[in-house]
Amino acid sequence: MDAKAECTQGIGVAGESGAFKIQERLQKRHQERAEEAERRKEAKESRSVAEEKGEYFSSTFDTERASIEELLSSCTGADRAVVTQTLEEATVKTLQLQKFLNDSMLFLTQYELRRAQDALQKLQTSSAEIREEALPKKKFAFRARSKATDKVSAPESDTPAASVSTKVAVAPAVSVQCGFSNMNNVCLTKTAEEIHKQDVLLTHLTNCKVRLFGSPSTLHMKHIDSCEILCGPVSSSVFIDHCRDSTLAIPCQQLRTHNTQDTRVYLHVTSRAIIEDCHGVSFAPFSWSYPTLKEDFIVSGLDQNRNNWSQVDDFHWLAAGTPSPNWTVIPEEDRKTNWEL
Amino acid sequence: MGLLTILKKMKQKEREMRLLMLGLDNAGKTTILKKFNGEDVSTISPTLGFNIKTLEHKGFKLNIWDVGGQKSLRSYWRNYFESTDGLVWVVDSADRLRLEDCRQELSALLLEERLAGATLLVFANKQDLPGALSKEQIQEALALDEIRSHHWCIIGCSAVTGNNLLAGVDWLLDDIAARIFTTD
Repeated sequence: MDAKAECTQGIGVAGESGAFKIQERLQKRHQERAEEAERRKEAKESRSVAEEKGEYFSSTFDTERASIEELLSSCTGADRAVVTQTLEEATVKTLQLQKFLNDSMLFLTQYELRRAQDALQKLQTSSAEIREEALPKKKFAFRARSKATDKVSAPESDTPAASVSTKVAVAPAVSVQCGFSNMNNVCLTKTAEEIHKQDVLLTHLTNCKVRLFGSPSTLHMKHIDSCEILCGPVSSSVFIDHCRDSTLAIPCQQLRTHNTQDTRVYLHVTSRAIIEDCHGVSFAPFSWSYPTLKEDFIVSGLDQNRNNWSQVDDFHWLAAGTPSPNWTVIPEEDRKTNWEL
Repeated sequence: MGLLTILKKMKQKEREMRLLMLGLDNAGKTTILKKFNGEDVSTISPTLGFNIKTLEHKGFKLNIWDVGGQKSLRSYWRNYFESTDGLVWVVDSADRLRLEDCRQELSALLLEERLAGATLLVFANKQDLPGALSKEQIQEALALDEIRSHHWCIIGCSAVTGNNLLAGVDWLLDDIAARIFTTD
């Protein structure tokens, strides 16, 4: 019985001490695990950058935003100069904030990103509103210049832009350039000396005969009705807009024709001619001549032997294979050969 | 080194930029592109559609898109907006009659959401022509000073002579690089 009891006790002791050991082991292991976790956490922290944290971002962003808002709110009722300066500062700050957001994009969540973008948008709108209110836009307008000579630009007038009254429509700055405008039923001529390498502008001409000798740099024609316009070699492009019932003869590098109807073009073009919004435009090779034409070709730098007059691109007819209905080639028997005035 | 740092580094390595070149017709977009690429500019025709050039400059790979500026093509411009890093707006400085058109087209572009992040370079082209407006006059005519939504810069240039093209593109690259490829 005793022995049995002892035995039982022995087992009991053995069991107790075993349990104790296990507990101890568990305790130790737990501690090790905790230490390991702590170590890993530290290692992780040392690797990650403080700036790449959501909280860091949102707190910095919010502080910046608040300071910009304060700047903007200080604008109300302030002096014009002060407002300009403050707005400038606010704009710079907003841009910096935008850059900060862009830099942080990689580690932000969708929500944070969207929230920050909205905030920025709001800042921009309110600064635009304040600008609109405090500093209304100046309307752009060309300054009037003396029309004494239509040859070359008079020296720049020094009138500040502010003197332009608010309600001036864009006045055609015709007088500055070499050219003719607003004329009816007249014959107009420019000599090679007048034109030499100038930009020539012809506008609002009706029933006129125009002869341009020499080599212009560019030629612009706008609002031409029932005219005959002959021009020497143009070294770059010719631009035609709103022209009707006219006859033109031009050598050039490029021809761009817009909104033109029923017009015959005797053309020498070294690259391409195009038409856009045109009807009834017809083409033939350039045939006008005058004594110094050859020299003018040399001045313009155009190749007299390369003429692509019949290769016309219609920007409103992109079907390959089918010819555009908007332009034609003038039949040989109908081509004009006599260009006398 | 964290994963994010690796991602950033990868993006820096590509150093690829997409530039979109727009402007009214006859502004000289194709001429600028070809001149910049060292090609012959005397035979250029009005662009029916678009040109793309990929070239290396200052260690960046540039994809330059030159889209035709004819009125009938302008409605297609928006097809090219996506992921544009830089917008090059080309102006014919001698074309006074259409400066107002030019201003309107540009301001409409700047409202475009997909171009919101893009840097704007304005080339006041054709400075070699005697009747060209100065870059200051163009700046005023296009109301550039009122632009707050984009980084911008205006540079007077001549595509025919190549004058100042490099200066403009260099500024554009620096600005975009500062924005996208931020150094650590």
